[in-house]
Amino acid sequence: MRPGRFSGGGKMKLNERSVAHYATCDTPPDKTGFLFKKGERNTAYHRRWFILKGNMLFYFEERDSREPIGVIVLEGCTVELCESAEEFAFAIKFDCAKARVYKMAAENHAAMESWVKALSRASFDYMRLVVKELERQLEEIQEAAGGQQGRPKPSRRNQIARPKSGASLSSSSLSSLSSSSSTPSMTALFSAQKGLQDEVQLFPGSSRENGVAWSKPAAALANGFTEGASSCAAWEGSADSGIAIGCGADGARAPPVPPRRIGASLETPVSPGTGCFSKLHEWYGREVMEVREQWLQSQ
Amino acid sequence: MRFNERELVSLSRQPSELAAELGMRGPKKGDVVKKRLVKLVVNFLFYFRTDEEEPVGALLLEQCRVEKEDSQTFSIAFLDEAERKYVFECDNEEHCKKWIDSINKASYEFMRRNLIYYRTEIHRLTGKDPLEQYGISDETRFQVSNGQQLKARDTSSL
Repeated sequence: MRPGRFSGGGKMKLNERSVAHYATCDTPPDKTGFLFKKGERNTAYHRRWFILKGNMLFYFEERDSREPIGVIVLEGCTVELCESAEEFAFAIKFDCAKARVYKMAAENHAAMESWVKALSRASFDYMRLVVKELERQLEEIQEAAGGQQGRPKPSRRNQIARPKSGASLSSSSLSSLSSSSSTPSMTALFSAQKGLQDEVQLFPGSSRENGVAWSKPAAALANGFTEGASSCAAWEGSADSGIAIGCGADGARAPPVPPRRIGASLETPVSPGTGCFSKLHEWYGREVMEVREQWLQSQ
Repeated sequence: MRFNERELVSLSRQPSELAAELGMRGPKKGDVVKKRLVKLVVNFLFYFRTDEEEPVGALLLEQCRVEKEDSQTFSIAFLDEAERKYVFECDNEEHCKKWIDSINKASYEFMRRNLIYYRTEIHRLTGKDPLEQYGISDETRFQVSNGQQLKARDTSSL
């Protein structure tokens, strides 16, 4: 393997113009507002206009600037409140070697909480988790109704093309909750990034789409994941659309969720023996409910 | 535009949806086909020189259009510069279709639309908002449209 190229220079390419276009195109942003961002070299906080869209956090010099100064890709990160001379401070932390910590500060307490929540749930993996869960629920509802919802199951195509490249099992998985010394409430609630990917890698026999094994009623594997594929497309009625119906563990109920590990910010709720979407989400769901209750009580 | 390159490189080493050696040609006139290890991770397409640990580059797969060019070739173009196409050559037609399908589903916006569909449908069938129990009903990113909220049909829960 040739050594990394970036130590000496030579920047990784990115389709920057199109990325910047995504920031300002007509799809609605998930959150916008002013935040103070600590500079990289210069440690002063600069007030910037932020636009959060999907898993991308763009920042602009001014609210009416046409082009962003920069973007932070929000995968593999946690968002935490932090100790700082600056009021209403929080940090975006990445789980990789020599990763940067982005220190930010909001203008008031409500804004800080709102941003921490929004950023914690901004990852693609998190969105994927929620989609999976809703798919599963919908399938359950439809099956309970006798499967007579009038929508034909989409045809299933066989998966091919297993990943060739080093798709390594990441040993450290991501937090579900970031710990914070201050309020328990608005720290990262749902951070299902690498945890989800770990889960996918644990079942090498299963084929996948969007990193998730879809199940088929027949041929269930022991772990509840089965081989299969489904077509999945935008549901607005485009020409070749068909909605994917994926199941988590069907058949036997999954064994109980492993006990919640308090304060373990880098542990995964998914251990090799218990990988299953419904459990994973149950775990997160309970976490969220517990934290929410704590927050409500503290109000 | 600045971006968190180190973190993006780290992301490129995560488990991928799909990865293969493809012939890749850039969008500029005069770009030639080069063999690249192409890897789909979340909504990014990373491309590496074979045997290198760090990617040559990445493409964010939002606001893009994927098209079949011929039986084994597909292209990606971005809506803001639709004439500039990145072209990818696959081993065979099935492979090519698989890539097209996967890339189409690799965007955040695509997932969001699906989520909204499922949420709406479950609400329609059950009268309940499925996100309620997770405390995330109010998240902007899950809104049906323009910030409209799903209301429970059952008024006793209001």
